[in-house]
Amino acid sequence: MQWFLQSRLCQQIAVTLLVILLIIEAVVLLPFAFIHGRLDEHLLLPALLIAVLVSAIATLIAARTIVKPLRTIRGQAARADCGVSILGDRHDEIGDLARAVSEGRAQCEREYTGRIAELSRSEAQLRVTFENMRQGVAMYDADYKLVTWNQRFREYLDMPDEFFSREQSFVDYLRYNAERGDFGDQDVETLIDERLEKLKRVHSFERTRPNGTVLEISRAPTLDGGFIAIYTDITERKKAEIELTNAKQAAEAASRAKSDFLANMSHELRTPLNAIIGYSEMLHEEAADEGHDTYLPDLKKIENAGKHLLALINDILDLSKIEAGRMTVFIEPVSVGTVVAEVSSIIEPLATVNGNTFIVDCPADIGVIDSDITKLKQSLLNLLSNASKFTKNGTVTLSVAHIVEGAHDVLTFRVTDTGIGMSSEQMSKLFQAFVQADSSTTRQFGGTGLGLAITRHFARMLGGDVTVASEPGKGSTFTLTLPAHRAKQAAVPVQEPSAPKRMVSGDVEAKLTVLVVDDDEAVHETVGTMLGREGYRVLHARSGPEAIATAREMHPDAITLDVMMPQMDGWAVLAALKADPKLCEIPVVIVTILNDRAIAFSLGASGFLTKPIDWGRLNVTLRQHIGGTVSGPILVIDDDPEMRRMTRQALARMGLQTEEAENGAAGLDWLASNAPPAVILLDLMMPVMDGFEFLDRVRTHADWSKIPVVVVTAMDLSDTELDQLQGLTRRVITKGTATGVDLRAAIRDVFRSDARRGEAVLR
Amino acid sequence: MTKILLVEDNEMNRDMLSRRLIRKGYEVVLGLDGQQGIDLAEREDPDLILMDMDLPVLDGWEASRRLKAADATRAIPVIALTAHAMAEHRDRALAAGCDDYDTKPVDFARLLGKIESLLARAVGE
Repeated sequence: MQWFLQSRLCQQIAVTLLVILLIIEAVVLLPFAFIHGRLDEHLLLPALLIAVLVSAIATLIAARTIVKPLRTIRGQAARADCGVSILGDRHDEIGDLARAVSEGRAQCEREYTGRIAELSRSEAQLRVTFENMRQGVAMYDADYKLVTWNQRFREYLDMPDEFFSREQSFVDYLRYNAERGDFGDQDVETLIDERLEKLKRVHSFERTRPNGTVLEISRAPTLDGGFIAIYTDITERKKAEIELTNAKQAAEAASRAKSDFLANMSHELRTPLNAIIGYSEMLHEEAADEGHDTYLPDLKKIENAGKHLLALINDILDLSKIEAGRMTVFIEPVSVGTVVAEVSSIIEPLATVNGNTFIVDCPADIGVIDSDITKLKQSLLNLLSNASKFTKNGTVTLSVAHIVEGAHDVLTFRVTDTGIGMSSEQMSKLFQAFVQADSSTTRQFGGTGLGLAITRHFARMLGGDVTVASEPGKGSTFTLTLPAHRAKQAAVPVQEPSAPKRMVSGDVEAKLTVLVVDDDEAVHETVGTMLGREGYRVLHARSGPEAIATAREMHPDAITLDVMMPQMDGWAVLAALKADPKLCEIPVVIVTILNDRAIAFSLGASGFLTKPIDWGRLNVTLRQHIGGTVSGPILVIDDDPEMRRMTRQALARMGLQTEEAENGAAGLDWLASNAPPAVILLDLMMPVMDGFEFLDRVRTHADWSKIPVVVVTAMDLSDTELDQLQGLTRRVITKGTATGVDLRAAIRDVFRSDARRGEAVLR
Repeated sequence: MTKILLVEDNEMNRDMLSRRLIRKGYEVVLGLDGQQGIDLAEREDPDLILMDMDLPVLDGWEASRRLKAADATRAIPVIALTAHAMAEHRDRALAAGCDDYDTKPVDFARLLGKIESLLARAVGE
């Protein structure tokens, strides 16, 4: 209490209170006295003046004693030296306040310093991390000025030092790179616009530096309106990817080479075997003639073993030919009765060896089908010899039937035996190449185990299939079903006929792709086969969403679209395709049982066909929309009238008109007296004037030099010859392996590439 | 004696077939390539020609075509022999003017049948 009475503050407060009392008296009591008449009216003004004066003096004193020290404290608190206080020695409340503030300030200061140190440490750590990152990182502000970057960024960018400063902008960097040629011939301003546009969203891309380094560059906008760029060196990864791709291609090439080699080996393998079989046959004849009967059984054994080996080799070669995609089918009218009779005469002795009865059940009027006679015979022989082999003292039956149900017109060849039969597990492996139902079967019954695999391949190549039903101990029934009629065809290469759900089929090398959309598997089979034959690559989609996804991914040249499909119908698919700017140009042909032509065209379909599909019309419709239009003839120069005939037929199927010349000289004569043809198909080996000389003449002639020439030759061309032809021709096709398909595809490619380039060769 | 011209480049096939034909009582003249085949056909005037199709110098297709194009040799029956049992080859052989066709390895009995029927036809004409 004593320190309080002594303090100056106390005295000041006492004075102040006194003054306030006087003011109250002056302001409150005087008017009161005046009202009661205790004070004269003329005294009022001086009294008021005194009161105001006293108040002013009191306020001044208060300001000096309270406000001033507080100001001092505030001033000191704001200053850094608040630890030293000139008020600190005062023993009143102001002094206390000053000390408290000073203490708090010091506390803050210590904490602040601590935090700063901590931050620097953390920033230093970050910086180390930042600098040692494998990625190059740079941040740019809202004006695209460089804010921060790491050493790796400098290395990756490989630019002069002045570029790494806060004065540099992203645009400067782009411009410098463009000027030193990093972006090739691209226009700088366009490039800058493009890059700036991209900065508005997260994006990444790859770029190969002039030094060969491949960088993956990711850029993302930051909250302040700038962006961050991250550069990753992916040179090694790219290298590994390329190596992997190369390795894969090499492996595929090796596998292809192996198949090709085997297919090519056919002649080499068969020739010595023919000699073995032939000479043993001959010796057998001579020994019999000359009465050396004791040699006869041994000579027969050599002959039979030779024939067996030949059969095995033929199977292996057939299969490798199928796998190499080099097996072709030749469709022609085949008399079923004749084939059955011929096959039966071969099987009869084989069946009876095991004590079997062989029964043939074939209607006399079974008629003629369109098929490949060699493959049909081989398939039947395979099935029947298997049945004979696996049946003892039983029955082997071949029943043939012609079944017509609506558009379904097929022949079934049913081979039934009463032999050992098979379990379902054995049946599941039956048609796989190189897998016999049981490896012990090979030892017991012989054979390669390839016969059924080949038979199934053949059946599918012919548009049919082979199925099996069996029960162990009771026997088996194999049913070969083949379509009775097919358009007569030169040849159809089949790539992978055994895949149950094909995604791609037809001529997989072809440039023109058609996407077939249908939920009916049968349509995929038939349309796929038909389009493949016409030289298209065929993609398959079995639902609406799959169709749209495939169209986006593969961008086909045309689409055939079914309407009635579950989930998403054809109309919805068509609408979706036409709404997509990237897909709307693809011609769509609606193929349906409905007759809603108007809807189809209003939704943007290019063509409309009703099921059952008329192949000719589908082909013509597709051709109208892809592959260009041609009105000029095709000049076929070949000395072989048979080749000319086959070519004429193949081209007629494309609706193309042909003109023919039997050698180079006749070809030149034709050119001299006619308008230039759309394309020239040229044989090389011809009498009078060969293809090489003809080409030289045509290419040096002003009016003819632009005519596309496709060489069709039986020659094995040397590299030099190929080089010579390369510049002069559009394409070289090999005769023999050349099929109508190759030819049509080549012609189509020529038209298509010309249509793209806008050359005036089509007239 | 009936004279058969056998044009075949493979030595063993040539040897086998010629020996078997000789044993059957035919006179056999041998050609090793298509050009020799044409020359021998003109010089030797055989009753029948067995022509392999895969021949050097001039292949069997071309040799047959030329034989059938020349007045002197047109009447001689030609049987084409190919290693391929394909309908395409049969058609090609016939288109080249061959009178018949058989595949190798030769089924001798069948080939003899074809030879005899062609010779009988030639005699009958």
